[in-house]
Amino acid sequence: MNARQSLQPLLRYGILIGVGFVMIYPLLWMIGGAFKPNSEIFSSIGFIPQSPTFDGLEKGWKTSTEYTFATYFANTFAIIIPKVIVTVISSVIVAFGFARFSVPGRRFLFGVLIATVLLPKSVLLIPQYLMFREFGWLDTFLPLYVPSAFATEGFFVFMIVQFMRSFPPDMEEAAMMDGCNSLQVLFYVVVPVILPAVISVALFQFMWSINDFLGPLIYLSSVENYPISLALKMSIDVTEATQWNQVLAMSTLALLPSLIVFFVAQRYFVEGISLGSVKG
Amino acid sequence: MSAKLTRRELLAATGGLLAPRARAAPPVTLRMSWWGGSEVHRAHLETIRAFERKYPHITVKAEYTGWAGHLERLTTQIAGDTAPDLMQINWNWLVLFSRAGDGFYDLSKVAGAVDLSQCDADSLSMGRVRGRLNAVPISMAARLFYFNATTYAKAGLSIPSSWEGLFAAGPVFRDKLGPDYYPLDLNLQDVIAVARTRQIQESGLPFVDEGRSRLNASLPETVEAARLYQRLVDAHVIPSARERASFGNVPPQEMRPWITGRYAGVHQWISAIGKSTDTLEPGQAIALGAFPLRAQAKDAGLLYRPSMLLAINRSTRHPQEAALLMNFMLNDPTAVLIFGVKRGPPVSRRALATLAADDALKGLSWEGLQQIQKLPNRVRESGFFEHPRVRDGFIDIYEMLGYGRLGVEEAGLRMFEDVNAILRRVIR
Repeated sequence: MNARQSLQPLLRYGILIGVGFVMIYPLLWMIGGAFKPNSEIFSSIGFIPQSPTFDGLEKGWKTSTEYTFATYFANTFAIIIPKVIVTVISSVIVAFGFARFSVPGRRFLFGVLIATVLLPKSVLLIPQYLMFREFGWLDTFLPLYVPSAFATEGFFVFMIVQFMRSFPPDMEEAAMMDGCNSLQVLFYVVVPVILPAVISVALFQFMWSINDFLGPLIYLSSVENYPISLALKMSIDVTEATQWNQVLAMSTLALLPSLIVFFVAQRYFVEGISLGSVKG
Repeated sequence: MSAKLTRRELLAATGGLLAPRARAAPPVTLRMSWWGGSEVHRAHLETIRAFERKYPHITVKAEYTGWAGHLERLTTQIAGDTAPDLMQINWNWLVLFSRAGDGFYDLSKVAGAVDLSQCDADSLSMGRVRGRLNAVPISMAARLFYFNATTYAKAGLSIPSSWEGLFAAGPVFRDKLGPDYYPLDLNLQDVIAVARTRQIQESGLPFVDEGRSRLNASLPETVEAARLYQRLVDAHVIPSARERASFGNVPPQEMRPWITGRYAGVHQWISAIGKSTDTLEPGQAIALGAFPLRAQAKDAGLLYRPSMLLAINRSTRHPQEAALLMNFMLNDPTAVLIFGVKRGPPVSRRALATLAADDALKGLSWEGLQQIQKLPNRVRESGFFEHPRVRDGFIDIYEMLGYGRLGVEEAGLRMFEDVNAILRRVIR
């Protein structure tokens, strides 16, 4: 009986660790690949390099362009940070409107918003390109984040609306009685409660934007403005063998911001959930 | 009166030619775009610096990417009329962007700045659309057969030089080296290329008939094209689509059996053979095989076309300067020596002479070009053969054949019906 009891968790953790290892193996392989010479990458399945080298990291950082990877990192953040901020602010405000105010045609407008989620982005590509050309915004970061300031990501609005609907409006009514206006209610009462949703929106937007390839590809023509998603594919061609060790080394570095942000946000995420309870 | 005017014009013209450009010309900024890998990027940037030293009043802004996404970007730019002044284009993009021949700048208007006489008439004609010179080829290429000489030696075979020899090598590889050794590796796109080659050797006509918007092949001939895949697989000449799929969806040169030499042949562009040899495990040698010809072949059936071309934006504000840069890239010895044969042996006679003097004309791509020049090579394929929808139409059918969802006869029928329907839609 006792032996069986101690065997069970052993088995359970054994399986979990085994499956977890299989899941994380490609990631480990990528990190290992960053330190392999290029010839070793295809020939060995193991992730520990047989003859480790910093060559890939060094050459990859220098890149085959006029700029180092530092430029591409800086560009990425110059796009993503404003984008995340304006997305969060605009989505929260619009969601608050949909969840708490009864405007005429609300259901219809909400339907339109959801419909935009289903619209493939490539349909809008050329009209938007022409529009930004008229604004004179081509080859700047503006087309990449300004649209987000108008709550264009319907999915985020939907997510926050659903989250708000799960809370009774009692606290907001109390705040109104105490003399808060709508915006004050939103920022002092509602936002602290829906913080987990807000953090999730920021997190999603951060990760999607850092991976976005098509947007920067279309709107940015100067190499000095490229973000990492473009820079990583710069040296992958059809007529030349690719220096995968350099690509892998830079991919590993490019992954770090996402990982760091995720782990930092995870703490707030959990905190947000425990703080978000409403006392009757 | 008229004579006087002419003389004055003449004087003005010579004066313009003799005056140092740097002092006279106002500063100009050009944009140039290309795709490529690290080596190509470095070579371009170095060439651009050399160009700017030679023409100090011109600044060149480089806009380059890898292969992925380059066409998408250029499409938006052309649609938005914001394309770069000088751009590297693929041959089949001419049919995408310039159906009527007015999609790019007509280069005959800047013939003074680009030395077109360095380019032979045949190659140049492939940059022409409806009589208008849209683009100048940098290098010409065709797909040839390259084999892993090391593996063939292990099998005790010499490199095949005929279709029969190729088919006979399959069983020898299987019996002597093992069932996972193959004399050739073709992905489905390569199978289409080989089927096309065999059809043309029989018919002596381009595979796509642009005038009639259909394939130059009868139903029995498309069935034959479908059967080719089955025959190659059955004779153990190429691995089946299923077997290849087990190595993942990676480029052929990154598949383990190619790297280790178990797949001992490719049907590769001469301009791209470098990527296949680069990934091999050390100690293996790749050799060019003689091109297989059918008995009484009317033509070799090579897919001979520019591997890349240079074109000028039709609404550029600086056609002369863009043409100067184009000329520099194609003909100037400095540029030519920087590029070498990285993009395949150049078309320009002057560039070839420069490289020959530098003893840089060697290697598998150069050998390939020599072979092409000796083969009967008169058939010029329509650009629509490489249209993405046509290519995908073929690949879909071969895929279904490869996974057993279609028989040979049905696949041939589908090819005859579907691909012809696609051609009717895309050739307008």
